[in-house]
Amino acid sequence: MLQGTLIYGFVNSVILALIALGFNLTFGISGVANFAYGALYIFSAYTAWMLLTWLKINYLISIVIAVLLTSLLGGLIYKFILLRVRGMPISEVIASFGIGLSILEFFRFLGFVGSEYTLPVFIDGSVSIGETYIDIQRLLIVVIGIALVSILYLFTHYTKTGLAFRGMAQEERTALILGINSDKMATFSLAIGSGLAGVAAITILPLGQVAIEGGYSALLNALAVCIVGGLGSTGGILVASVLIGYAQTFTATYIGSHWMMIVSLIAILVILIIKPSGLFGKQKELEERI
Amino acid sequence: MLEVKNLLVFYENALAINDLSLRVEKGQMVGVIGSNSAGKTTLMNTLSGLIIDMKIKEERKGGERITIMGEVIFNGEEITHLEPYDRAKKGMALCRERHPIFPESDVLENLKIAGYLIKRSELKERIDFVFSLFPALVGLKHRRAGFLSGGEQQMLAIGMALMIQPILLLLDEPLLGLSPAIQIKLVDAIKNIQKEMGITTVISEQFARPILPMIDYGYIIENGMLTLTGSGKELMGNPEVRAAYFGV
Ligand SMILES: Nc1ncnc2c1ncn2[C@@H]1O[C@H](COP(=O)(O)OP(=O)(O)OP(=O)(O)O)[C@@H](O)[C@H]1O
Ligand SMILES: [Mg+2]
Repeated sequence: MLQGTLIYGFVNSVILALIALGFNLTFGISGVANFAYGALYIFSAYTAWMLLTWLKINYLISIVIAVLLTSLLGGLIYKFILLRVRGMPISEVIASFGIGLSILEFFRFLGFVGSEYTLPVFIDGSVSIGETYIDIQRLLIVVIGIALVSILYLFTHYTKTGLAFRGMAQEERTALILGINSDKMATFSLAIGSGLAGVAAITILPLGQVAIEGGYSALLNALAVCIVGGLGSTGGILVASVLIGYAQTFTATYIGSHWMMIVSLIAILVILIIKPSGLFGKQKELEERI
Repeated sequence: MLEVKNLLVFYENALAINDLSLRVEKGQMVGVIGSNSAGKTTLMNTLSGLIIDMKIKEERKGGERITIMGEVIFNGEEITHLEPYDRAKKGMALCRERHPIFPESDVLENLKIAGYLIKRSELKERIDFVFSLFPALVGLKHRRAGFLSGGEQQMLAIGMALMIQPILLLLDEPLLGLSPAIQIKLVDAIKNIQKEMGITTVISEQFARPILPMIDYGYIIENGMLTLTGSGKELMGNPEVRAAYFGV
């Protein structure tokens, strides 16, 4: 029992990290808290479902198209809406949350409710680790999660665009005079963040159903992880994912699975009271020296 | 190489630059001298285009209204309303006041980020070149830039500006907050850069003493207006300048 809980807790941690990765990337680079994130997550899943079910397109191709479209949608939302309120955090939150609500509720209006909206797992079957049986999709989630974190690290540390991202995140004006177009970079960061939401959805949702509510809980989980870890800190995100991931899994195992979401909410509250900048938030640390 | 014609810059209704004109010839080192709030930073930001970005972003938010009138001409091309990143592509580099580098990245990464515009294959060579100009930075390669001393940060900031292989280097108060000994070292480095690499340089300062000996031509500004111009030697001999800007 305990072994199983430990393994499933780890998978749950990776799921949370996957969900938070895109939200954190966008915020870290452009400073935009993209509250349309959950909607983009679900948008990608429904799009993949439509391509697969209605147009009968090959699953892999459907996934790629869905992720690209989600990425594009994120970029467009930024370019045509969020760009105009950039630098005004309250307006950014209201605008992006409004867009997210519209997207999600539009799906409801179109009738995307019910249990037929499911995505197939990538590979069927399960394997046993010790005495615990685990399906291959969950293992793939772990593999994809670890791969994405590594790719993102390499991207932001070794490519020109990634380095420009890091520069812009720290000192936008200095980046500008070095030839970095900050509006273009911010659009990119929204597109990449949204694409990551898409990848997360398509990797995770085959475990259950695609439902509008999934958009709200994805946003909530992304927020919980980012608030606990400290927005903009990738290390913080990973630690927070593990903390919340295990807390959720233990709660589900020993108390009841409908308490899982409460764990995220409590985590947000506790951290906001104890250390509002998050466990690894570093707003204060450097300021004094500069 | 650079010409400013009848420049006016308003923040809301406050006039920060008032009908200012100046010329910088290729290969020259030109000084802009003025006391606090004379308009040095505003001028540098207008030359580098940063003010255009500030203006656009303020307009988007419905914030401060910034108005720019007059002309900035760079290599025969009117660039008054060009964005800063496009000016960088044309070979203009600004080293901002109080050396805002990327504090969380280490020194090496700062230089890599600054190499955004150059080819990947040239990156290493360029970084080595910056290290040869400022050997003190070599040992600090892996130190977070935010933890460097003021003088080290200033060296890094100038090194970063040089990464884009500029033909015009704008330095906004590079000596600010540095001890006299470090100032002398930095002035030497700046002289070297301008002489050996033939980079045209515009440098702004509050105090005339450290920079008058090295500039070809100087402009003294007060309240956004030119009050006195002349070659470095002429300005040095001028009693008014000595009284107001030598800070003895
Ligand atoms: N964003 C702004 N909004 C309103 N007024 C501004 C703004 N920036 C500068 N000013 C004003 O414009 C004038 C010129 O400022 P500027 O920063 O260019 O001076 P400076 O010569 O660089 O001064 P210092 O030596 O203190 O750096 C000042 O009166 C300043 O208060
Ligand atoms: Mg200034």
